[in-house]
Formats: sequence, C-alpha cells, structure tokens
Amino acid sequence: MKRDPDKTLVVIDGVRTPFLKMGTDFGAIDATEQGRVVVQTLLLRTGIDPAIVDELIFGSVSQPADAANVARVIALRAGLPEHVPAMTVHRNCASGLEALTAAADRLTAGRGDVFIVGGTENMTRIPLFFTLVAAAKFAALSRAKSAGGKAVAAFGFRPADFAPVVGLKLGLTDPVSGLNMGETAERLAREFDISREAQDEFALQSHLKAAAARDALAREIVPVYLPGSKSGFADRDNGIREGQTKEALSRLAPVFEKTTGTVTAGNSSQISDGAAALLVMSESRAESLGLTPLGRLVDFAWSGCDPKRMGLGPAFAIRDLHERTDLRPEDADLVEVNEAFAAQVLAVMKLLKTSPFDGLALPEERLNPQGGAIALGHPVGATGARLVLTALKQLKANGGKSALVSFCIGGGQGGAAWLETLT
Amino acid sequence: MNTMPPVLKPGATAPLRRPSAKRRLHLELRDGAAVIVFDRPDKSVNVIDTAFLDELETALRAVSRYEVKGLVFLSAKPSVFLAGADLESLGRLHGEALEHVVTRGQNVFAKIASLGVPTIAAIHGACLGGGLELALACDRRIASDEAATKLGLPETQLGLLPAWGGSTRLPRLIGLPKALDLIVNGKQVTAKHARRLGLVDEVVPKERLKARALALLDEPAPKRKSFFLTKNPASAAVIRFLTIRQLLAKTRGNYPAPLAALEVAGRGTWVTGGNLDRSFAREREAFVRLAETDAARNLLRLFFLQEKAKHDRHDPSVDVKSLPRIERTAVIGAGVMGAGIAQMIASRDFPVVLADLDPGPVAAGMKSVAALFDEGVKRRVFTKHEAGRKLDLVSPTADRVPLHRCDLVIEAAVEDLEVKKKIFADLCARTSPDTILATNTSALSVTELAKAEGITQPQRVIGLHFFNPVSRMKLVEIVTTEFTAPEVVERALAFVRSLGKTPVVVKDSPGFLVNRILMPYLIEAGRMAESGVPVATIDEAMLDFGMPMGPLRLLDEIGLDVANHVADTMVSAFGDRFEPPLLLADLVRAGHLGKKSGRGFYLHDRGKAVPDTFAKAPRDLPDKTAIANRLNELMAGESRRCLDEGIVRDAAMIDLAMILGTGYAPFRGGPLHGTTPNEPHL
Repeated sequence: MKRDPDKTLVVIDGVRTPFLKMGTDFGAIDATEQGRVVVQTLLLRTGIDPAIVDELIFGSVSQPADAANVARVIALRAGLPEHVPAMTVHRNCASGLEALTAAADRLTAGRGDVFIVGGTENMTRIPLFFTLVAAAKFAALSRAKSAGGKAVAAFGFRPADFAPVVGLKLGLTDPVSGLNMGETAERLAREFDISREAQDEFALQSHLKAAAARDALAREIVPVYLPGSKSGFADRDNGIREGQTKEALSRLAPVFEKTTGTVTAGNSSQISDGAAALLVMSESRAESLGLTPLGRLVDFAWSGCDPKRMGLGPAFAIRDLHERTDLRPEDADLVEVNEAFAAQVLAVMKLLKTSPFDGLALPEERLNPQGGAIALGHPVGATGARLVLTALKQLKANGGKSALVSFCIGGGQGGAAWLETLT
Repeated sequence: MNTMPPVLKPGATAPLRRPSAKRRLHLELRDGAAVIVFDRPDKSVNVIDTAFLDELETALRAVSRYEVKGLVFLSAKPSVFLAGADLESLGRLHGEALEHVVTRGQNVFAKIASLGVPTIAAIHGACLGGGLELALACDRRIASDEAATKLGLPETQLGLLPAWGGSTRLPRLIGLPKALDLIVNGKQVTAKHARRLGLVDEVVPKERLKARALALLDEPAPKRKSFFLTKNPASAAVIRFLTIRQLLAKTRGNYPAPLAALEVAGRGTWVTGGNLDRSFAREREAFVRLAETDAARNLLRLFFLQEKAKHDRHDPSVDVKSLPRIERTAVIGAGVMGAGIAQMIASRDFPVVLADLDPGPVAAGMKSVAALFDEGVKRRVFTKHEAGRKLDLVSPTADRVPLHRCDLVIEAAVEDLEVKKKIFADLCARTSPDTILATNTSALSVTELAKAEGITQPQRVIGLHFFNPVSRMKLVEIVTTEFTAPEVVERALAFVRSLGKTPVVVKDSPGFLVNRILMPYLIEAGRMAESGVPVATIDEAMLDFGMPMGPLRLLDEIGLDVANHVADTMVSAFGDRFEPPLLLADLVRAGHLGKKSGRGFYLHDRGKAVPDTFAKAPRDLPDKTAIANRLNELMAGESRRCLDEGIVRDAAMIDLAMILGTGYAPFRGGPLHGTTPNEPHL
C-alpha cells in the first residue's frame, strides 16, 4: 500500500535530558523546567520557526501541583507563541509514547501537521500528602475565628496527623487490584517461574550494555544547565553503574516480598528525573521545509490486560500491532521493551513464545542493545519519548531499517509502536 | 469664548467648552463633578509650560464658578500623566523670568489646594517633577497599577529642586525621612510602592481609575498622619545631619542641589510649622540660585543630550520604518561580557541564544546570567517571577546550532583577531544574509574583521561595544567601518535603544572613542605614580574632581596587563603620547596585574584596597587641583583629536559618551564642555 505523505508522521529530531536518580541534581529544578529545557533545545537545534507548531503534547504522570496542564506551561516558557495550544496526556508509564500517538491521530484526522511531543517527570518532587483527617483539622483551624476557637482546633491534632502519605507510593500502586507495581512483578516471577538469578543477570546486562553505550547515549542527551549546582550542568545519566557485578546485585534484599521475593531495587527500573521531546510532522511538511527525518511512525497499538499482571502488557500490544500490520518482532532490526522490572520483561519474552502468540517471539539478541530503564532510570512520563528517540537514533547510527518499541503500563495496559527509517 | 457660561447644577452634564485641538487640557463637567483632562495636542507626553499654567488657571476659575462636588485630574495619554515642567522652555529662562515661572506654578497649584471642594489626581503613567507637585496639591491621589505609572521628583538629578510646592508638601504628606529619600535621591517609585509610602491613597486598575476617582469625591477626606516624631527639632536635626553626611560622602560637595533640597524640605517641616508661604519662598529662592549654577546647566544639557541620543538618526535618508526590527539575537562567547550582554537582552524581554564551545563555559555563563537576575530581584528591578520568565528567554548551547532566524549575532569571544575572524566566517555560513554580525571587541579593528576571509557581506559587520558591567553601564559604542551599510547602523541604533541603552555611533579606529580618550589620562596617572606622587593623592584628586573612581584604582580594575597591551596598540596607531610608563610594564612583569592578582597600584585584600608606594615623593608635590587639571586636560586634548579625526560627528556626543561610559563627572558637562576644577561650586 502506498502511504500518504500528508498523513504519515515523521520524527525530525529529538533530545532528552540526562536521566538522573531521584534526589540528585534535578531535585533543584522540576518537571516543568526539565520539559522547558528539552523543548527550548529542540527548537534551537532544529532551527524551525516555533510559530509553525500546531500543538505541543506532553506526557506527565505526577503532574506538578504548581503547573496544572504542565504541557501549556512548558510550551509558553520554552518560547512557543501564545497561539500554539498544548495539552498534557497521561497513560501512566507510556505517557511519553501516548503524546506521540496522540499527535499521529491528530495528523490523520487533519488536525494539524507539526507537533512537539514528549514527556517529563520529576519523581524527586512528587509531593507528600496529608491524610484527609488531617486536612479536615487544618481546615477547621483556618476557619476558627477566636483565639479560643483556634486553640480548640489546634488541640485536635494528633501526631499521626503529621505522618505524610507518600505520593510516589500512591502513584505506583494500582487502586483496582490494590497491588504495588513491584508486587505485580513478583506475581509474574512466580507464575512464569523466573528466578532471582535470571532477573539479576538481566539487570546486569542492562548496566553493562548501557555503560558500553555511553557515547551513543550522549547523542540523545542535551546538557541541562543548573546555575545552582557546582559544575553548573548535567549531561550524563547517573543511574548507570559502570562496575556493576552480579555479586553486588545478589546481595540486595527483595523489596516487595521480604522473605521469598525475588524483585529487588537492583533488578527493577530506577526512580529518576528526566524529560524528552521530539519534533514530529507530516512527511510532506518535512519535505517542504527541507528537513531530513530520523524516521516515521508506521503504526501503533494500545491494549488492555489484567491489572494484576500489568507487566505482560507488551505481549498483548505486540499481538494487536501484528494484527494491524502483519509485522513481527523478528522483522525488526531493533526491539526496545521498557524495563519496568527484569521479571516483567522476562515474562513477556516467555509468553511471546507460547501458542496464542505464535511467531511473535522477541529477537533477544536485538533487544534493548543500549540497556534499559534498569540502568538508565524510568522517569515515568518521559520514558515513552526516550524509547522512540533511542530507537531512531540507533537505527540512524547503525544503519537498520525498523524498530519496535513496547511498554507495560500500570493498571493493566500495553503499548507498542513500529518505527522505520525512510530510506 | 467670552460669554459667561450658565451655572450648572449638580447632576447636569455638559462640557464647558468643546475640547479644542490646540488646548493642553480640557474641562468636563458631569454629574456635578469637574474633570480636568491633560491632553497636549500632537504629542504623546504632557508637560507643564506657561501656556499649560494659563489654561489650568482658567479651568480652575471656571470650576470654582460652578457648584461642583469636586475636581478630578486625569490624563488622556497612554503612558504619561504629567511628565513635569517643560525643560526646554525652562532651560532658556534666567533671573526674574525664571523666578516668575516658579512663582506662577506655585500660585496656580495653591489654587488647587484652596479650591474648597475635594480634589483628586487620578494618575496613570509618568507623574514626575511638576506633575507630582500638582498631584501633591490635591486632597487625594489614586494611581493605576500599570508599569507605566511612575511617581517621583527627579529635580535634584538635574541640579535643581522641586519648587512648585513639592519640597514643602511631600514631607508633610509622608514624613521627612521618606520624602528626603524621594527628593534628595530623585527616586522614582511604582504605584504600589507609592501606596506603601502614603504618597497615593489607592491603587486601582487603569480602566476603573476615573470611576473610582469620581466615587471618592463623595467620601469624607482621609485622615493624614502628623509625623510629630520626625517633626520635632531634635529628630529633625539628626535626620538632617545623617542625610548631609551621606550626601557629602557621595558627592564630595560637587552637587549643591540635594543639599539645598534637604535644607528647604527640612526647614519647611521643622521650623516654620504651618507657614506654607515662607517655605514656598525658600523653594523659589533656592531654585533660582541653583538654576544659575554650572552644575544645573550641565546636568540639564546632559539630559537633553540623552534625549537627543534616544531619537537621533545616523542617516536620515534611510527609511527606518521599512527595516525589520531586531528581535531574535545570539551572543557568541559566554564569558563575563557575553553573559552580561545576554542577560541584558533577556531582561528586556528579547529571546537570546548564549553560545560557547563547551558546556563548561556555557554553564559558567549561565551562572553569571542567573546571578545577575538574582541581583536584579534584590535591587527590585524585577520580581522573582519576572526574573524567572526572563531567564527562560536565554537559550544556552554548546552546539553549532542554526542561527539563520537571528536578526543579530553579537560575538563576545576572546580578544584575539584570528579567533574572531574564524568565528565571523563561520557565522556567515550559519546566519541569513541580512543577519547583523556584531563584535563586542573593545580593542580590535572592526574593519579588519569585516575584510577577513569568508566574510560574505562586510556591510553587515558592525561593532557593538558594551561596557562592563553591562547591566549598569548605559553607553554602547556602535562602531562602523567604511563597509557598514547605513541600514545596519539604523537597526543597531534602534536595538540598542530598545535595550534602554544610549548609543553613540563612532568610526572604527583604535580604542574607538571612550577607551581612547581615557587612555592618556590613565597613562599619565601611572607616570605621576612612577614619579612619586602618592597613589592616594592622585586618585583623591580625581574623586574630588567628580570621577566615580580614581584612575589608578581603575587601572587595577581593568588589569594592568590589559591596560599595558591596549596602550601598546595605541602607541603603534597614534604614537608616543600613549607610551605607558615603565612602571606599568615592571608591575606586569612582577605579576602584579591589579585586583585580579591581588596587587597593582593597590594591595587588594578581601575587598579592601591599600595604596602601594612606588617612589620617593618629589619635593614640589603638585596639589590635587593641579593634578586634576593636568589629567583632565589630557582627556580634553584627546577628545579634540577624536573630533578632528571625525571619530564622532558631534562634539556633544563625546561629552555624553564620556559621562555614560566612564562616569566622567556629569556636573562638569564633559571633557569638551567642561568647567575646570578652579571654579568653585559651593
């Protein structure tokens, strides 16, 4: 089938911040600032007139309390003109990919043909909350008029009222199944019989591959200038452990199931801060602007699955994408599956080798060649855009043709997207 | 209109007379209230001249004939309420004629104060000098919350004092200490600040200003504070003593106006108590006396020169309206100057790329930019929120990003001609053909740069010489070569003005204008030190002269190596008069480079500078006046040479450039217009 260049979404260029572990340098800034930096830098590098952008779409999971619709704040602060609208999208861990597919849907529908998409997350800054009981007491205190009334209201507080509810923990728990994301990974490890050792080995490989790919990763990263910090900028992922050993990984205690569990901080994705942005447009617009795209989005699929086994999401999305396109993972030069948990990726690999998924097995030697979120970190809103960016940059550098990216999504979903170069 | 208008009862609505195109103000009568609207024809600014006073008096007479419940003053201009006295006409008056205008203003404003019905100034836009004095004669003042609204009494900055009742009424309204801060320092405040000071009673949105003022006419007069604490003779004496001490430390007695204003404002509150007329008489007497001083004349001239530099075109044949405005800019080089320029540009709400070769220097540049914005917040130039949004406008980069959308690129890299040539050739490839390419060099030849290999359009190459620190120094030298297109000069002029800086167009020549004139002065100061004149004596002489910093201290700030190098280049261009003293080379060789190395003409330690000694003092030590005369004469001489060589077109621009670029004693008028230190000023 001949494709329509007016309806084909191509990626011109993309950038990301380094991904920094929670509590490090990006604690000094926030998700908005990270997003502003990647969008501003993307505009600067591509040299396009910001006025031609039809919309900015950004993913963000824990949206900053001080920037409702963070996408709009990012757009204006990054120098997009006021007439360019912006919206924030949320599909949990795949929000950054959702931004891209939302743009593709708009393009197909004839609603604009130039978009900036991406995602941002600052997990350091996810707030702590007061309980509802404590909040009611604060409200009573602020309503009290007389000194006596205030004293009575103040007297109602108990020490427990000041114990915060950790927002990050809430965000990583699925309210339907009641399971924490790590607990869903433990479930997969049990049901698919994935050993602690296999998970640690997978994690080790993630670090080793990422460490070996420092130069390649540098092509994706733009420095973030931090006038408040000592060096004044950050331009390297700080989650990658160059000297990672299996022994060190094996010594870590399981986090989610203390006695018999297998999922540790070492074989799970790291909690990080970061942002990524992509300039996308119709193929015909790119041609008229004289821009050379990195590649195009062939198709994508979003699928639902059991929230208790959310980690299996990629298998279902890859199956649905196959049904739409007839493409198989083995056709791809490169497969990027987000590493939420080693156990979860390994379970997907096993599942894709079983009968309902015939012929859809992942080419393991071409899976996550530069490591994944276990080494690089997983700023949830941003990772979706990072995977698209890294896949296209790898194809460009290594001469491949096509790439498959896929995600598991908290709450029981999967996402998959097929990308290919134009040449 | 010479028939008596009928008496209008409250509630009637009719304009007294049709607003005529020739009138500076008009009177509206509506719903029993009178509104006087300032609206000078054919101008965007309202000022007070004799015709204005005549019209105002007529209008006030008319108002008093009607049974109105009150009077509101308004302006029809978008950004000016009343900008003060018309300095152009005032500047031409002397002696009795001058005293007459002062008296007349006082009398007309006194009529406002004694109108017998409530009066309100509803202020939107600049309300300065005589404008604020008119507002002070009203019972109430309310102001719009717009940025254009500024209130102040800047008279002392022109060597004068508020003499239309301002020096008398302001201390009574807001108390002596706060009033002195405004009068003596010539400070201008925002509406909100004015509200805190008690200068205005309410701050309201501009659209509701008139309605609110009319509504206030029905409300009882506000209770004013009496300020009995600062009015009693003892505390008044303390305030006076402290203010005088602070003033003298700052001005070395070179500026009589603030002292006179202090005297008038102080005596008006603390001695005569309620006697307004005697205080007004003192205002008049002081004003006429000050207006005759050289300081006032020179400061007024400086004001006009600055106004001229704000509007003057370099080549009137260029159709400036058709030229694209400079909006998008880039600065190449993130050092002190590059960062300073980028911050300055962003602070004026223009987007700017700040580029350097590696993230390290870019990060250092961004640290300076952020620090400058922090400083701006501390000095209340902008709010924290504004500073954040302005900082967003700076795009830092260590990549070779496309610059074809930039209207102007300013190179601020190291002072090395070969490096700059390479940068310029590269910029030619990365920019669009009509992007202006500017260098911030202070020493190198812009012509050489324009002629360099790879420069495709030498007509777009220009020098934009900003001075350090960029955020504070008002002057920018626009350096043109024989190739520079007139359109490029006009666009650069407009851009520099939009940054709030004063441009002076100079021909490319070693040292351009300001540094060249300064150099013989610095060199001679060094020679004097070499011959044994004490460092402190030399610098004190020039501080007394009115310079903001002594020449040897300035050399230490510049860096003796830099100064020596500049002097050498000047020698090869102009000959021996730029020959630096051997002492300078000796100091450089010994590693004493000035402040940056901790030692030069001074020993620098933790912010303190102690003068060093270099030779035994000669027996016939020149006195400070002789030193100052000698050093000033060198600046004057070099200025005349620059004028003869046509470096600038206009002698007055040299005076302006030296005052703004080096802090040359403003009250002296400039090196070519100067009064010598032999003429006493107090």
